[in-house]
Amino acid sequence: MTRTEFVHQGLRYGSDDEFLEGTLEFVHDGLAAGDAVLAVVRRHNIALLEEALGRRSGDIEFVDADDWYLRPSRTLGQYHAYCADHGQESRVRVIGEPVWTGRTEFEAREWMRYESLLNVAFVHSGHWILCPYDTRTVPADVVRSATRTHPELALGARMSAPSGHYADPADLYAERDAARSRAPLSDGPDDIRFARGRSAAARRALAAYARRSGMPEQRTYDMVAAVHEALVNAVRFGGGGGVLRLRSDPDYVICEIVDHGAHNSAVPVRFPGQLPPDARSVSGHGLWVLRQLSDLVAEEIGPTGSTVRMYFRRPGEFTRPPAG
Amino acid sequence: MTVVPPLRAVGQMRPGDHLLLGYDTDEQRETVLAVFLLDGLASGQRGLVLTPGDIPAVLALSFLEAYGCPVDEEIAAGRLAVDPHLATPEGLWDLDEVIRREARRAVADGFLGLRVSMEVLCRGAGESLKMLHDSELLLDPVFASLPVLGICQYDRRVFDEEELAPLDGLHHGRVAADLVWQDELLSITRTFAPPGLALAGEIDDTNVTAVARALYAETARARARTANGIRTRLDLRDLRFVDVGALRLLVFSALGLYAAGGTLVLYGVAPHVQRVMRVTGWDRVPGLRIEQGEDPP
Repeated sequence: MTRTEFVHQGLRYGSDDEFLEGTLEFVHDGLAAGDAVLAVVRRHNIALLEEALGRRSGDIEFVDADDWYLRPSRTLGQYHAYCADHGQESRVRVIGEPVWTGRTEFEAREWMRYESLLNVAFVHSGHWILCPYDTRTVPADVVRSATRTHPELALGARMSAPSGHYADPADLYAERDAARSRAPLSDGPDDIRFARGRSAAARRALAAYARRSGMPEQRTYDMVAAVHEALVNAVRFGGGGGVLRLRSDPDYVICEIVDHGAHNSAVPVRFPGQLPPDARSVSGHGLWVLRQLSDLVAEEIGPTGSTVRMYFRRPGEFTRPPAG
Repeated sequence: MTVVPPLRAVGQMRPGDHLLLGYDTDEQRETVLAVFLLDGLASGQRGLVLTPGDIPAVLALSFLEAYGCPVDEEIAAGRLAVDPHLATPEGLWDLDEVIRREARRAVADGFLGLRVSMEVLCRGAGESLKMLHDSELLLDPVFASLPVLGICQYDRRVFDEEELAPLDGLHHGRVAADLVWQDELLSITRTFAPPGLALAGEIDDTNVTAVARALYAETARARARTANGIRTRLDLRDLRFVDVGALRLLVFSALGLYAAGGTLVLYGVAPHVQRVMRVTGWDRVPGLRIEQGEDPP
């Protein structure tokens, strides 16, 4: 089966056979059509596909989902870069199986938002993304959410139907924002006030805090770069300054940038920093970079000020037990 | 490994200084020397150039015209002078005496002092190198006692570091071109072999305009160096931080160079800066070339 428009399908499966039934023909059709095929699935499913494809498995690219689905914004950026590299002359087909186990409620919400944003990010691309959901391990509410984030559901080999509950990404985006805790961080001993021309001091203090919190050197660089962009935005649009609050919980270092400016930049952006800006565009790179370099971001930008909260995962195992 | 002595910017020189310039290209020599002589004109000091060959004064100083200096006029007024005293190796014998005499004459002519630049081209093992050594040794008391400051130029395409190292001890240090920019975060210096700029420190919203200005001027020089295939090179090995706005400027400049058939080369880009360029797609912009620095030892 070949189509030319952008396709984004959810695929529910409850067994190895169902997984293969839903994915194998998708791969074969893609190879027959000369598409670039990328399979980002769990290790077990890589083995299944490799065995079923035999020597043709060398024609598709496999990535372990655990290595790919680390941070929602970065994953979207990686898909975008992959499609920019491979999708110029051919269609790209992706089997993308996000990792849902072991996620906190906040993380799961952001991954659902990510699934929904794919519909916006690739709408003009003509690529085909198939997202398997393992009903044996993925929480039921997440499986249900796939009908809202995917316009279609794949039903076995070469068959599909409208998902029936597809939500406009803008609506889902707003809904996720509303579901979030809005309590800002309280004042703390590591707060750093910043103002125009003073971001170097904030960068210095932030790097020292990151080191004290055990962040690796390269990740500290990312933190400094991401937070700096939020500071620059606060200075530019948020009334010339604000406060940077730093916290650590067992899993994340949290950086919150608060200002009280009017943020009357020309037009409100629909998905701030969520979609890759053109390399040559004048603005929009700061927010994009901020999301690409951090693990999770929660932001509120309004007429009386803005709050941007960035999460950077601390090294080591997560403290919470992986959910079943 | 050779220990490189500390560099002093030519604009920071003062009477009594006797510095060594080891240069790799004529552009480097002329850049340092132009500032040295023009600072002298501004400071009421006569500029004297002891050339290693017998060439007309106007020709020997023609490089100053690019800096807006009316060379003919300055020579006619005695503010600039050229003397082929070092055209033969014998000129080295009484070099200290010549400079002593010229310094006194400059003062007698109403100047506040003398700036002297000298270049020795004679080369050869043993005897002539020893002669050079001896004459440099004799110069020191002259600089110590008279209102004179000087630069001894050594072409590094002729003298290697092993030959220059012993001469370091006979000077008060080495001289380099002035910094293009310095603030508490960033310093920008010119490089000459290969030509370009070296940026050290951090670039953010406070100093990005200084980078833009330096890059603009460097691109104009690159255009003057070669008509086609303009290559502007930035050495970023010591750049610890650069923000998105500044990277956007580099991309803008690269695209402009590309449109003119040129390239912006970024040398020694740190891994964390490369990550930012990757996520923005700026590592794939035409006209922008990212070169790895050499591996750390």
